[in-house]
Amino acid sequence: MFLSRSEYDRGVNTFSPEGRIFQVEYAIEAIKLGSTAIGICTSEGVVLAVEKRITSSLMEPNTVEKIVEVDKHVGCAVSGLIADSRTMIDRARVECQNHWFTYDERMSVESVAQAVSNLAIQFGDSGDDGGAMSRPFGVAILFAGCDEKGPQLFHMDPSGTFVQFDAKAIGSGSEGAQQTLQEVYHKSMTLSEAINACLTILKQVMEEKLNSSNVEVVTVTPEKLYHLFTKEEVEAALSEVKPLIKDEPSSSSTSKS
Amino acid sequence: MSILSYNGGAVVAMKGKNCVAIASDKKFGIQLQLISKEFPKIFEMGPHLYVGLPGLATDTQTVHARLKFRQNLFELKEGTRMSPKVFSSMVSNMLYEKRFGPYFVEPIVVGLEPDTYEPFICNMDLIGNVCFPEDFVVGGTCEDQLFGTCETMWEPDLSPDDLFETISQALMSAFNRDAGSGWGAVVYIIEKDKVTTRHLKTRMD
Amino acid sequence: MALVLKNSSAALNQHSFSPYADNGGSIVAVAGDDYVVIASDSRLSTGYSIYTRDQSKLFKLSNDSVLGCCGCWCDVLSLTKLLEARMQMYLHEHQKVMSTPAISQMLSTMLYYKRLFPYYILNILAGFDNDGKGVVYSYDPIGNLEKSKFKAGGSSGALLQPVLDNQLGLSNIKEKPEAITLEKALNVVKDAFISATERDIYTGDSIIINIITREGIREEKLELRKD
Repeated sequence: MFLSRSEYDRGVNTFSPEGRIFQVEYAIEAIKLGSTAIGICTSEGVVLAVEKRITSSLMEPNTVEKIVEVDKHVGCAVSGLIADSRTMIDRARVECQNHWFTYDERMSVESVAQAVSNLAIQFGDSGDDGGAMSRPFGVAILFAGCDEKGPQLFHMDPSGTFVQFDAKAIGSGSEGAQQTLQEVYHKSMTLSEAINACLTILKQVMEEKLNSSNVEVVTVTPEKLYHLFTKEEVEAALSEVKPLIKDEPSSSSTSKS
Repeated sequence: MSILSYNGGAVVAMKGKNCVAIASDKKFGIQLQLISKEFPKIFEMGPHLYVGLPGLATDTQTVHARLKFRQNLFELKEGTRMSPKVFSSMVSNMLYEKRFGPYFVEPIVVGLEPDTYEPFICNMDLIGNVCFPEDFVVGGTCEDQLFGTCETMWEPDLSPDDLFETISQALMSAFNRDAGSGWGAVVYIIEKDKVTTRHLKTRMD
Repeated sequence: MALVLKNSSAALNQHSFSPYADNGGSIVAVAGDDYVVIASDSRLSTGYSIYTRDQSKLFKLSNDSVLGCCGCWCDVLSLTKLLEARMQMYLHEHQKVMSTPAISQMLSTMLYYKRLFPYYILNILAGFDNDGKGVVYSYDPIGNLEKSKFKAGGSSGALLQPVLDNQLGLSNIKEKPEAITLEKALNVVKDAFISATERDIYTGDSIIINIITREGIREEKLELRKD
């Protein structure tokens, strides 16, 4: 199978006879190696949660940044090649500021995704501005934000395709996580239920034991906008996570908040 | 910037029913700097005769002094008071004498004609071209603003009280939109048997 | 230069080229809680000659935004075309019509981008703000932006503005300022224009008034003196 592709899988400028661009597909494969990230959109706001792979006890956990603030009202969770993601986040930030500068208003979440998508498809070596990437970005991104349409969650893959989701998981544990999200998600979910669901699912798909230094949580709400959970807030949220919840999602709403 | 607006200042006069009014701001400045908030630009030249001299402050004072000089000589020689009409002719003449090195003032003369007590207003440019309008005259750095306000606010046959309100509103609204004039105002209402002087408190900026 | 040297009399006939013209005209805008009125005169002139007596200086940008422009008319045409294009691009990029505050900011940046060769235009933008209240934005030619409830600009700006201050801002008046009704606003705008026409030769012929409400934009016309 590997050999049959070898004719067409080196360049990004050539379709294979079946109409595929293998490098894009390989990039999509690459993100399946990344750490798991989950996003859930509720009417109260959006929650993003990611696992951080702490590969050494000598590592400083809070320097691993997988959820970032793009603007006051937009946050991004990334999975895949983190170095690639920096370029895309930079673009998203610049576009948001440009929009604010020109129109004195917040950029809509969809427009942020669109702007980053425009960057993501500029791979190949014949861009107008010369400095285009020679390969697709190996990154999947979850955009969480609140604009005039309310809380929204978008997912974008390395091909630059972006789609709106109620709940989406990316990264190595995404297949199992997406399955569980399907079962757990309902339209009238509260934000605290969503946080709880995110952590519960992460707990299931992660190899290490869940603790406050190997998970990152962000909420984007119309009131507080982008908010990165502090260590204490993460611990408080983790204490709500029950040992085994998979089959009783709604009973998890015994939240004390 | 024109030398006429070097010191700033505004004067306006209006006709009413059997009365006239003349009003000015109190500012004396040098370009953007404020020097005094008590600088008279309107002078009493007789019982029913006032002259306003907006323009370059030094010429305001000089022209006033020279007018008084000539008026005194006239009144001593002729043994009679100067009527507003005669007075304005004299002002015009005196300005034209300096046709090629003028005084930088645009005088406004108001008063009541002797015997008939007909309201009289006139204004002239800095070399003495006179104009006798039926309604109002304006002068100074906020001339444009005054034209706008007077043109909307003035109406014929205003009573002394209404005339006071009209001229005050017109002047204050106008000079509040001019950086060259303002800082208080003074209004004279001239009637047959009394002249009322009122000082207006305005915004001071 | 070579031409001038060949024929020395050519130097005497040289005209310095000025890229700007002043075509006169005045704009007045008044905003209330649930309406905005914006009016312009219809005279287009240069010096003592009149190009036309029937040129509206109001540009409908959206269902709740109207822009009034006067000054150098060729710059007005160029800027308004560009504005329309930018609004269309925004519509396609963001799938929504630009709000008045968004237009106001974009116009400011567009003017500032030509800081060194400005559009010689006095712009007044009328519409609704993000709270749904009437609002007036006014600009200088290089993009300084002021938000207010009423504004007059153009060749009669100095004549009109103190009248608005007095009648709408109620400056120097002891009465409590209360909300200005649409009827009152219309009367003040008309009176102010009639007065300005008396004293400004660059303003006259007629006024075109656009009344913007939640229901849409209504147009009125009033004849002015034509001399």
